[in-house]
Amino acid sequence: MCGIVGYNGAQRALPLVTEGLQNLEYRGYDSAGVALSPDERGESDGELDVYKRSGEVSALLDALPESADQRRGIGHTRWSTHGPPTDANAHPHTDCTGDVAVVHNGIVENYDELKAELEAAGHEFTSETDTEVVPHLIETALADGKSPKAAVQWAVGRLEGSFAVVATMAGVDALFATRQDSPLVVGYGDDGAFVASDVTAFLEHTREVTYLADGDLAILGASDGQHAGDVRIERDGEHIEPERETLDWEADAAEKGGYDHYMLKEIHEQPSALRQALSGRVDPDAGTVDLDLELPAEYVGSLEEVQFVAAGTSNYAARYAAELVEELADVRATVEIASEYEFDGGRDPWRTLVVAVTQSGETADTLAAIRKASRAGARTMAVTNTLGSTVTREVDDSLFIRAGPEIGVAATKTFCSQVATMTMLSVALGRQRGTLSSDRASEVLSDLRGLPGAVQQVLDRTDAVEEVALELADSDAFFFVGRWLGHPVALEGALKLKEISYDHAEGFAAGELKHGPLALVTPETPVLAVLTEGSRPEQTLNNVKEAQAREAPVIGASSGDSAGQYLDVEWPVPDAGLLEPLITNVYWQLFAYYVADSKGRSIDKPRNLAKSVTVE
Amino acid sequence: MTDETTAVILAAGEGRRLEPLTNRRPKPMLPIADRPLLEYVLEAVADAGIEHVVFVVGYERDRIQTHFGDGDDWGVEIEYAVQETQLGTGHAVLQAEPFVDGPFLVLNGDRIIEPSAVESVRRTLGSASEGSGSDEIAMAVSRSPTPSEYGVVTVENELVVDLIEKPEHEPPSELINAGVYGFTPDVFEAIRATPTSADGEQSITAAIAGAIEDGAVRAVRYDGLWLDVTHLWDLLSVTGRMLDRSGGGIEGSVAESATVATATHLAAGARVGPNATVGRGATIADNASVGANAVVERSVIFPDATIGPGAVVRDCVVGANATVGANATVPGGDATVIVEGNVHEDVRLGGVVGDNAHVGGGAVLAPGAILYDEVDVAPGASASGTVEQGTQIRRG
Repeated sequence: MCGIVGYNGAQRALPLVTEGLQNLEYRGYDSAGVALSPDERGESDGELDVYKRSGEVSALLDALPESADQRRGIGHTRWSTHGPPTDANAHPHTDCTGDVAVVHNGIVENYDELKAELEAAGHEFTSETDTEVVPHLIETALADGKSPKAAVQWAVGRLEGSFAVVATMAGVDALFATRQDSPLVVGYGDDGAFVASDVTAFLEHTREVTYLADGDLAILGASDGQHAGDVRIERDGEHIEPERETLDWEADAAEKGGYDHYMLKEIHEQPSALRQALSGRVDPDAGTVDLDLELPAEYVGSLEEVQFVAAGTSNYAARYAAELVEELADVRATVEIASEYEFDGGRDPWRTLVVAVTQSGETADTLAAIRKASRAGARTMAVTNTLGSTVTREVDDSLFIRAGPEIGVAATKTFCSQVATMTMLSVALGRQRGTLSSDRASEVLSDLRGLPGAVQQVLDRTDAVEEVALELADSDAFFFVGRWLGHPVALEGALKLKEISYDHAEGFAAGELKHGPLALVTPETPVLAVLTEGSRPEQTLNNVKEAQAREAPVIGASSGDSAGQYLDVEWPVPDAGLLEPLITNVYWQLFAYYVADSKGRSIDKPRNLAKSVTVE
Repeated sequence: MTDETTAVILAAGEGRRLEPLTNRRPKPMLPIADRPLLEYVLEAVADAGIEHVVFVVGYERDRIQTHFGDGDDWGVEIEYAVQETQLGTGHAVLQAEPFVDGPFLVLNGDRIIEPSAVESVRRTLGSASEGSGSDEIAMAVSRSPTPSEYGVVTVENELVVDLIEKPEHEPPSELINAGVYGFTPDVFEAIRATPTSADGEQSITAAIAGAIEDGAVRAVRYDGLWLDVTHLWDLLSVTGRMLDRSGGGIEGSVAESATVATATHLAAGARVGPNATVGRGATIADNASVGANAVVERSVIFPDATIGPGAVVRDCVVGANATVGANATVPGGDATVIVEGNVHEDVRLGGVVGDNAHVGGGAVLAPGAILYDEVDVAPGASASGTVEQGTQIRRG
């Protein structure tokens, strides 16, 4: 799954492809590979050069030649689905002749069937991957006398499932790229063309891009007398001139800039990310929000349910938002795990707004869910960080969180910006429905405006959090508890810790502690409690006492002054009404970071995890 | 024009004389027209064609790293050298040694200069290292009306022949060390060989004393802009000068009935309410807001701060996330301020409201009042003098 990059142009391809792979490493990194295609300008024996290795991209770099003359190449970083991470299973995959190389993201669902068919026809397979059927199919078509382009189209036509595929062939001056339900984007460089699963692969070289649609075929390079850097895009067999977008993300906004990890950098970027999210959107004095959405008034007025679909951290952000929608907009709100989603009975699709929350806009589970909702006839909305991502092209309305690129696999600033943005959505819905008074709206929006400053106050206490984290790092397990808006924050706090420190961590609704999990609480299991406004602190304090009676160390984030006497550690949260649990989450992020850092974990790239999960 | 020269910018300092504004951020991050001092230094370096920059950071370095990242926004590559404890400017330069290869420049991260200072020092350094010994040093010298506050230099035949730090008696000249140096890597050895001073610090100037005696320090005359923020009130005057030069800029949202003068700066996320007046020399940072009918003049409003409706804020610094309540008054004007035991008379400072501090509705700040972080002034109360962190001032 993973990352794809390809280049065809006037420059040497190898450094561009490997640089792209390093930029894509966050998408998955258990193996990587490169194929370079011979070029009449370089020294070449007319065959493809393929290099691949299991492990991180750095392992591949050791196996690569220092330089290579080829001007055309493809590369891949893999996150295993079919077959373990081995050198053989790494992409690119080749056919029997070694003249066709393919990189692929996605899943070929009918690969068993295709593989059996190809093996029966005498093809030999060298890997356990689903991908390997693609080069062999292309080989078959070429042997049948099809042109390279026709061969790729025929081979892809045989595939079922989701894929983004880029193919190169010895002696053919072009790269071929096509997609179905997996992202692929073309970049137009000064003297060469790029294709990749994500713009971060080539942002340093061009910001002028076209996002391919399902079924599009992009031909990068010189076939049909084109210049090597030219790109021809065909849709339904017709040559089209697709829209070119100019991205405004800074490529190197993603560099670590003095921080040890992207995650810590991104935690510290939260105040400015939040200011971006709010900029020009809220007027606390008037109690109004302008999100540039075009939801018809009658529709909003008639809404019976707002249904959020999301996975992972976005799911917890959605849970926070659902509580706010019920509180502020007075409409029923539910949250579904994207991979579990069905548009179930009992809902009127014309009175249901389905909101997909996905940082990358490419999360396969969430895309699948939103398609189900669309098919059922519901209006759909995306809350995402990525302009031009797949989800934005599938929904009726998009709402951007403006958090800027997030590279650390563990989401931090995007959670914060997601919740802040959906708080604005809740207020907008409440005002439009007439269920929220302008007074209350003004109050919530003032709290929102205070959020960047409040988060900065937590960041100013980083040293204190680090000290506690180091003291407790070797505990047996960590339990996070909270009620109401504090519940999703407890879940997110536990997720963050387990993702990056590999420790056992769980989040509970505080009231559930005594219904079972309390049996796990010992002096070696710290309990972290949300004790702020918006999280029913007095009730949670009772649960804190239960844990403390079992001698568990208790850390509380609190905005009042009554909790301190029951806590081993108290972290103050500035006054911010319903947003106080969100501010608490910044403490949990720092705590998780320093626990993981003390254990020397691979914080930006935790084992087994990928940033943008583009498989179902 | 670009070259391989590295610029080492010293940004590890704390700036105690600028408390409370330096309690949570290092001095180089103090904003002038909504941009950190350090950003002006970086731009001068970048405009001079230098591409490789090393920031020596220490105190509250997160703030610097979060703002500048890897330097891409300025078209330079920034690396960070960490000075864990502040043991002087010479010690700071030593931290950059692993990042430096060949002749390099050293600049202070908290003095506003123009690119010409960087260019001429680099040029002199280039000709020096081609010419005589590899231990040549170039130093920018500038004229100051108050030379005694800085390192006063005596120049003969384009060479620095004497350097006295903050002379107590009549300074021998009006020429001062402008804090822009050109060095060869030999300087690292010179710093290491310099004994630490009584307060445990190694300074650059002590390290080059020998070179001055040997006649190996070339003076590079610089008569361009040179602005230093030594005291809190300098923040207001330097902001005013920079806004006069640039004309300011209005990006934030301004109510139709509000008045915003020229030579003001409103950041993109700033808001100015109905009938408010933002006068000359004011800066309103991102996500800060000025309420209806408020008056803000010659003041610096930090990010996330709130000026309530009807408040009057003059000659004042309002820290990050601080609040000045409705109809509160900071009348402004001249004051006597004591900083680290020194009495400064007739300085123009209406007041300073520290980060996260709260001035209640209708409260009054006497000229020169300095409220530290998280001070809470009750509605209708009045505050004067220096108020320690977290103090609550009640009406009475």
